Amino acid sequence: MEMFEDAVDVLKKNLEDAILEFRVPKPRKAYVLLKPERHRDAISLLLKQVENAELSTITGTDLGNEIELNYHMACGGTITIKSRVPREKPVIRTITDILPGANLYEREVFDLLGVIFEGHPNLQRLMLPENWPQGDYPLRRDWKPHANQENSFVSEETSQTETEDLKDAGSIINVIVGPQHPVLHEPEMFSFKVDGETVVDVEVRLGYVHRGIEKAAERMMYFQNVYLVERICGICNAAHTTCFCQAVEDIGNIDTPPRALYLRTIIHELNRVHSHLLLLGVAGHLLGFEALFQHVWRDREPVMDIVERITGNRLMSGFNTIGGVRRDIDPNTIEKTLKTVKEVRKRTTFYKKVFEEDPTLRLRTEGVGVLSRSDALKFCVVGPVARGSGIAMDVRKDDPYAAYEEIPFNVVSYKECDTWARLMVRAEEVLESLDILDYALSHLPSGRLRVRVQRKIPEGEAVSRVEAPRGELIHYIKSDGTAYPYRVKVRAPTLANLMAFPDAIRGAFIADIPSVIGSLDPCFSCTDRMAFLDTKNGQKWHWSLDDVNNSKNRKALI
Amino acid sequence: MAKIRLPTMIKDVGSCIFKKPFTREYPAVKVQVPEGYRGRHTFDPEKCISCGLCERDCPAKAIELVEVSGKRMPKFYLDRCIFCYQCAESCPRDAIKLSTTFEMSTTEKKELLILPEEFISKQKVTTDEGK
Amino acid sequence: MALDLIFLVRTLVFPGFIFLLVLVLFFDWFERKVAARFQNRMGPSYAGPFGILQPIADYIKLFSKEDITPKQTNKLLFVAAPILAFSFFVFALFYIPIDGSNVILNSSFEGDLLLVLLLVTLANFGIFLSGWASLNPYSGIGATRVLTQFLGYDIPLILLAIGPAFLAKSLSIVNITASQSIPFVLLIPWSCALFIIVLQAELEKDPFDIPHAETEIVGGYETEYSGRKLAFIKLSEDFQFLIGAALVTVLFLGGSNGPVLFGMPEIWHIFWFIVKTLGVVFVLEYVGNVAARLRIDQVVHGNWKLLIPLSVLSLALTIGIEPLLRSVIG
Repeated sequence: MEMFEDAVDVLKKNLEDAILEFRVPKPRKAYVLLKPERHRDAISLLLKQVENAELSTITGTDLGNEIELNYHMACGGTITIKSRVPREKPVIRTITDILPGANLYEREVFDLLGVIFEGHPNLQRLMLPENWPQGDYPLRRDWKPHANQENSFVSEETSQTETEDLKDAGSIINVIVGPQHPVLHEPEMFSFKVDGETVVDVEVRLGYVHRGIEKAAERMMYFQNVYLVERICGICNAAHTTCFCQAVEDIGNIDTPPRALYLRTIIHELNRVHSHLLLLGVAGHLLGFEALFQHVWRDREPVMDIVERITGNRLMSGFNTIGGVRRDIDPNTIEKTLKTVKEVRKRTTFYKKVFEEDPTLRLRTEGVGVLSRSDALKFCVVGPVARGSGIAMDVRKDDPYAAYEEIPFNVVSYKECDTWARLMVRAEEVLESLDILDYALSHLPSGRLRVRVQRKIPEGEAVSRVEAPRGELIHYIKSDGTAYPYRVKVRAPTLANLMAFPDAIRGAFIADIPSVIGSLDPCFSCTDRMAFLDTKNGQKWHWSLDDVNNSKNRKALI
Repeated sequence: MAKIRLPTMIKDVGSCIFKKPFTREYPAVKVQVPEGYRGRHTFDPEKCISCGLCERDCPAKAIELVEVSGKRMPKFYLDRCIFCYQCAESCPRDAIKLSTTFEMSTTEKKELLILPEEFISKQKVTTDEGK
Repeated sequence: MALDLIFLVRTLVFPGFIFLLVLVLFFDWFERKVAARFQNRMGPSYAGPFGILQPIADYIKLFSKEDITPKQTNKLLFVAAPILAFSFFVFALFYIPIDGSNVILNSSFEGDLLLVLLLVTLANFGIFLSGWASLNPYSGIGATRVLTQFLGYDIPLILLAIGPAFLAKSLSIVNITASQSIPFVLLIPWSCALFIIVLQAELEKDPFDIPHAETEIVGGYETEYSGRKLAFIKLSEDFQFLIGAALVTVLFLGGSNGPVLFGMPEIWHIFWFIVKTLGVVFVLEYVGNVAARLRIDQVVHGNWKLLIPLSVLSLALTIGIEPLLRSVIG
């Protein structure tokens, strides 16, 4: 892709003096190590020179003496800009003034690795609880769970619920949505400041389902981690496993057989179809349109049946593995899938018409939660949210993986920038996905399903991106040559889209909160990524019911 | 004033009155799961060679080797099991197989254990009948 | 003495309190079943044949649950408001002629139509109070929404109810029903259609279920309620639903009028009344299932800019063509 090469050229030409190391090991993947404090120049250069360049995420890696910060820039491919800071004094200049979308990513690195970003407007905890001990950074390599962690927690009384800003002031009242609320299917807290029926401001608190999956992944073998990352999120599990396997295959130079790539694409697209249909139904529910909700979910069910038939489970496919896929698809199933695709296409065309024409639906979604194109770029939103704001970005097209290079399809985008556009993008994308499925199933190459892969993966690092149903999903893996990864970093699409939420909701009505939250299609399990950690030996991480009931251990379930 | 249109769903919703409901009376009416569903494990003690690969590879640490009649065989903790069937994949002798049994919910934690004895005794019964 | 016995039986058993309670539970079941079928679901199906006992099971459950009164609330209001609302609704229903005459014999008077509408309004004020007394942001927002919506929609409702009264030249419900040899819906269908839409708003049904929009404000005014008090709120909602549907029946569908085939005419009156009201419930559910919930600002705008002018027009039209209609009635 030309865009990527241009970007690489621009960096090489303008920052010659700052580059310490420049590698392009795979097409569309570049790793640039810069001199300290030069990352800002590189990022602002890329933002200026490359159209639609966005920051995917920031990965912090503890290298022993130094902490390495990887700024993954999405511009045609992924350019990873590396900057290192000493571990004793981990301070670096913020990039939030150049790119406001880096806000949450910097907070995450601060929270989990203790890197201080100078000039950050609101450098506070993101994932960990407020009463987590100060100066305790779980993603550092030498971090050990404290033997007496119970005592090191600050007492509950100083937790956030007591602070000033949650008290009512004048006509402005606080409406707290979550952690338990009918609009949210997963626990997360939004604190709205409401004047009458109008939303004045909102604060988001994440981390209620933080399970420490990134840390847990360091203690499991690569092939076991496939099952772990699958459980980051139920609904887009195939996206997570595809992404993870791709990264590992990238490091290990493993050539996945073409049939496996096609099968991965099929399961990935089935994933997208049922995820988008789920959201369209949920949108109906959030807008008080129960019949639409029930009907869409009814028509989604055949897709789930197909997934169950192909993979052995409705949701958790367990389909991908490093070096290929685990199951084959037989001709009968192909035939049945094609039939289902036809049915679902008919129904989806109808639902698209409903969203396009139904008067009450349009009344509720048009002009609501507007996120302009420039704001969307500024906050680095991804996926259907970006495409609803007129940015035609799609990892499947920009940085093709699996079998997408060979399959023709269109990138859907709408210019309306509102809730309606975001829902329409999804409705139309389902149709595109069904076309992809048609093509992939009828052009399925023959051959092996998987190649044998050693448990030990050679030393190296890799970034892998896929287009999950909710947008760009990125995994970064660093290997130190053992069977266990050195660092696994996951950034799910919702974290990127969540940053734009306060901007989209300000000035809207209370009644618009559900539809705007819904149109971002949040998936907080993805965002918070997590697992059980034992406080004593740091080895055993599985829990039985008795363990959980034991009060001494309960505190350790974070 | 926008053009007044009839709701788009009007026909679809109305026609549902004459349709059979899509949902099923589940516990009363059983459902069929397709072949290849990853349900409760079955285990063949004859084939097992006590290599312990299943125990080592299980990502959920849901398998423990226990000694039964002089042979080390896997004991499954279904409460931890994530039904990925890595154990079946790792097993060099295909001793672990899947079944389509999916109704495993219980209030008794003990019922969530699969002991190797379960399969041994079954085999004995069948051989006894054979005699 | 005999009169007193009849009075007691009529008030408490049939067609009074107990009969109404059974009827309300039946309607609750019917409403849920119909809504489920519109959504291609089974609906209640386990308790009793076709799940007909489900509402009873639900109320038994609610009555046996822990009843919590939050610390900071105005206790008297918090407890009294749901009961107040409930009793207003029951009282209003006593003026609907179910078996051809009022529950309390000869209690009908010129103007009881207005009394029923007034009682419904008062009951809604009780619901507002219940939300207001809860001291919960969700309840507060829900309660103000009840008031905003209800006060707005009362005006077109009354204007539209005047139409049939004008045709019958009486403000007494019994007289309006009695004068419908041809149901008014055939004479003034526009009025009936508008009445059903406005009623949808009064009953807080989709697309107007804004006061308790669960994805926005959880339970609305009933968020803090539990156990018995919640049961009272739920019962009042069910009663309100019955009153709404019954109003359409008596004002536009000829109430309990209908062919008497054999046996006691009272039984046939009740039969026709229930059948017609079930038909109205069906229509109400249909409307509710093909639309998304509107926003409170859209509802208020729609009321003042659209529905009130339309209902004035409808009333004017009814008055205008009244001589013509009268010749049809004969």
